[in-house]
Amino acid sequence: MHTHRLPLAIVALTAVVAASALAQDLTLPNQNDSLKFAVIGDSGTGNADQYRTAKVFIETRQKFLFEFVLMLGDNMYGGESSRDFQNKFERPYKPLLDAGIKFYAALGNHDSPNQRMYKPFNMNGERYYTFRPRPGVRFFALDSNYMDRTQLSWLEKELAASGSDWKIMYFHHPIYSSGGAHGSDTALRDQLEPLFLKHGVDVVLAGHEHFYERLKPQKGIHYFTSGGAGKLRRGDVGGTFTEKAFDQGFHFMVFEIVGDRLHFQAISDLSKTIDSGIIARRQVDTKAAPSVPAAPAAKPVPPQDKVGTPTAKPAPAK
Amino acid sequence: MTNKICLTLLIGWLSTACAQSAQPAQAQQMPKGTNTNPDAKQVADFRAKVEAYNTLRADLAKASPPLKETTDAGAIGNAEKSLAAKIRAARANAQRGDIFTPATEALFRRLVRPQVTGSADAADNRAIIKDDGPKPGDVPFKVNGEYPKDAPLSTVPPDVLKALPPLPENLQYRFVGRHLILYCTNGNLIVDYMPNALP
Repeated sequence: MHTHRLPLAIVALTAVVAASALAQDLTLPNQNDSLKFAVIGDSGTGNADQYRTAKVFIETRQKFLFEFVLMLGDNMYGGESSRDFQNKFERPYKPLLDAGIKFYAALGNHDSPNQRMYKPFNMNGERYYTFRPRPGVRFFALDSNYMDRTQLSWLEKELAASGSDWKIMYFHHPIYSSGGAHGSDTALRDQLEPLFLKHGVDVVLAGHEHFYERLKPQKGIHYFTSGGAGKLRRGDVGGTFTEKAFDQGFHFMVFEIVGDRLHFQAISDLSKTIDSGIIARRQVDTKAAPSVPAAPAAKPVPPQDKVGTPTAKPAPAK
Repeated sequence: MTNKICLTLLIGWLSTACAQSAQPAQAQQMPKGTNTNPDAKQVADFRAKVEAYNTLRADLAKASPPLKETTDAGAIGNAEKSLAAKIRAARANAQRGDIFTPATEALFRRLVRPQVTGSADAADNRAIIKDDGPKPGDVPFKVNGEYPKDAPLSTVPPDVLKALPPLPENLQYRFVGRHLILYCTNGNLIVDYMPNALP
């Protein structure tokens, strides 16, 4: 009898330890009334790496109830048949889809423009779009593969109308990057950055580079590159723009907006915190543009552990 | 009062000078006594051909399964394929150069060249077209041909898009190596192509 109980106890203890490890990894405030969302980039491979990262992603939601997911492009590598959509999106994220979590996709260079018609990507049939999940926070999804005049005019108009909301942009190509394979898309930067500055964009999220990078704020704007939810390019990141980088594993990100503060955390496929911090919302008088106050650097939250090492310090219990 | 008039005249002259210096480098010198863009006729010709294609596509789309928002990814592919088949049948005699005529090709090469050889972003523009696009041989150059779903679509730098005449929403310029294609997104097909668009 006792011999049966012992393994059960071990299993139960393991589950508790695993759950508490996950809880320890969470550095976000996890408040009841905050806006919580997650980010995946370059996810759509359909291979074991995507599924392993998706598993940790889903486990994270058990502790941190993010409401929706931003997809930073390259949602579908290779073919785009029904089976591809199943293998590269519907199956790996099934528990989230079943729970009613919405995914909001941006297009990458590996994505057909007609992904805009795939309802679970919530693009409303458009290559670029904006949405406001709650008062005070607005997201803009751009098609950085094809930044034509029509899209730029649309963006200018929508930004101008967005008032004092948090303004969070997401699209595929980073306009600042320390990546060796691609690097900064300077032509795109020439078009977008003046609009970002004029209208007080707070945060910009991009993929394309298969690693994680948090950049030093550029002209007051915070940039993240998060293109490692299904692809990885080791040894490719690091340079003058880099504040924090990680290219030794796959990853995803979770965010929480509490008033004028945006908390972020990047988590690896081994469930380790690779970066975390807090960004204070910019105070920009958009009518007085182009005056741009310098934003403070993101305030780092001490991670509970270093990548690949055991937990060094317990996180505050939530 | 005199000072005000002088200031107004100076501002006016400066505005004119600035406007002139802001003209695209690729614009040809205008003949004396005219104030029209010498490329306007060629651009209008190109746009008329594009519009004709677009009207045809819209008419054919009415008889095809609609390309609309759906949870069934297969329905998207079916709508594309059905429309593409109708376009192929209606344009069975279409040939390379019907839309990218020799005159349009010459104009486009001239318009694109500064964006990939002379401008500050030229090197980046060339790199992104090359890096993001399909590998040579991945995309068959064929009018009315299907664009392979497993091949990436090249990113087209904003400078290049600004230099070229705008297209309707369902048509796009894309590069395959140095070559330019006119891509119909709704039918996922190559409407026309232009070899060696990039120097």
